[in-house]
Amino acid sequence: MTLEAIDVHHGYGNETVFDGVSLSVPPGEIVAIIGPSGVGKSTLLRLLALFDAPDQGSIAYDSEDVWELPDQRRLEHRRRIGMVFQEASLFDASVRRNVEYGLRVRQSWPDRIRHELSRLIGTANGTHSAIDAIETVGLGDRIDQDATSLSGGEAQRVAFARALAYEPDVLLLDEPTSDLDPRNTAEIEAAIREAKQRDIGVAIATHDMHQAKRIADSVAVLLETDIIEVGETEAIFETPTDDRTRKFIQGELIY
Amino acid sequence: MLSPLVVDAPFEWHYIRSIIRVSLYVSLTAVVLSTLFSLPIALVLGFTEFRGKTLLTSLINTGMGFPSVVVGLIVLFALSNDGPLGSWDLVFTPEAMIISQFVLAAPVITGVSLAAVGGVEQNVRDAAYAMGGTTVDVALVTIKEARYGIATAVLAGFGRAISEVGSVLIVGGNIAGSDGTSVTRTLTTAIQLEARQGRFETAMLLGAILVVLVLLVNAIVVRLGNGGGRYR
Repeated sequence: MTLEAIDVHHGYGNETVFDGVSLSVPPGEIVAIIGPSGVGKSTLLRLLALFDAPDQGSIAYDSEDVWELPDQRRLEHRRRIGMVFQEASLFDASVRRNVEYGLRVRQSWPDRIRHELSRLIGTANGTHSAIDAIETVGLGDRIDQDATSLSGGEAQRVAFARALAYEPDVLLLDEPTSDLDPRNTAEIEAAIREAKQRDIGVAIATHDMHQAKRIADSVAVLLETDIIEVGETEAIFETPTDDRTRKFIQGELIY
Repeated sequence: MLSPLVVDAPFEWHYIRSIIRVSLYVSLTAVVLSTLFSLPIALVLGFTEFRGKTLLTSLINTGMGFPSVVVGLIVLFALSNDGPLGSWDLVFTPEAMIISQFVLAAPVITGVSLAAVGGVEQNVRDAAYAMGGTTVDVALVTIKEARYGIATAVLAGFGRAISEVGSVLIVGGNIAGSDGTSVTRTLTTAIQLEARQGRFETAMLLGAILVVLVLLVNAIVVRLGNGGGRYR
């Protein structure tokens, strides 16, 4: 299922953030969104994650304009999308509880209450996909640890597992490794490749050009209020057609 | 050997038990109702922007320090025969005391909960939403994350309710029935009466019971607050 932003115009007050942005995140593809800080990479991801409706244009999932759909249908689409933020933002609970959260909210209320009761009397079992997700990020031995006691890198890996656990079709990653050391960055990047293997479409906002080169299949360059260029990673980095892309990649001051 | 206090004062235990019962019934009911009323308000106030929000927050904060005798007076007027709620026929009943304690506890619980809920980071709520949470799910996550602060709010509300004298005296009347058991007599109003009549031992005992009750409720609420979070 492809998630798309189509000719999106968006702003805050009098400030225009996007003036006709279009971007597509197809299944099994990693799309890197690169651009200077403050250009609106996070805003674009939040629009794709259906936090807000765009002022104009549409967000489409499976070719349906999501904001034209009834609430329940939109919620179903929203639940096919996962998002990881720059900060891990874990809940004050165990790693397992954090990772199971997405699964819990998808259960019916009677099932949720039943699960909570069996947890209280100690008969609740871990969910397979949650355990699988925790192992994917290499934290299988920390499953019952208090999430607030983890290091920054481990916490971010749990945040990633949280989004992976409910097996989304699309993952939106907002600078997920910008605060991490190389080892944790490598773990997250391995998990991103694993997500691609599972045919999940990934959009990752990053200001790390090397990271974009390492993991992305395609790159979208967001500059000022528009995506000025989008194409295969190698083409964008080796033979950009827009002069501003070349300058941005080379680190020249163009903004 | 028993202490002189116990030897010298042959307490009427059924009288004391009835006072404890009335006190707990009135204050616990008032606090439960206040919590149910206040938490949604704190959540809405914490997460929405609207005109008059600052004014409303100031009013709540003012309410936290509202004198209990004034609350009692207003509730008495409202419930009296000529008042807007006169038809309820509640003057000098435990239910009237519940209403006045509700009015006293609600601003405290709302105000302290609001501070606790406001302390939950936007990131955490965004994460709950991004994982497919609905508005209700996000609110539940917020309550869970703010549980220690909310427990403090409930405790502060309970402390305000069970320890106040002024309003329950006015709307309840400090009545004991002909069989010598409390109708609207609470620990605080009984202490006040016993001390005034020179029965200091009884007053002291009632005071000790009041302190123990407050400690017990504190312990229970803190335990619940902790237990809600350290799950596996």
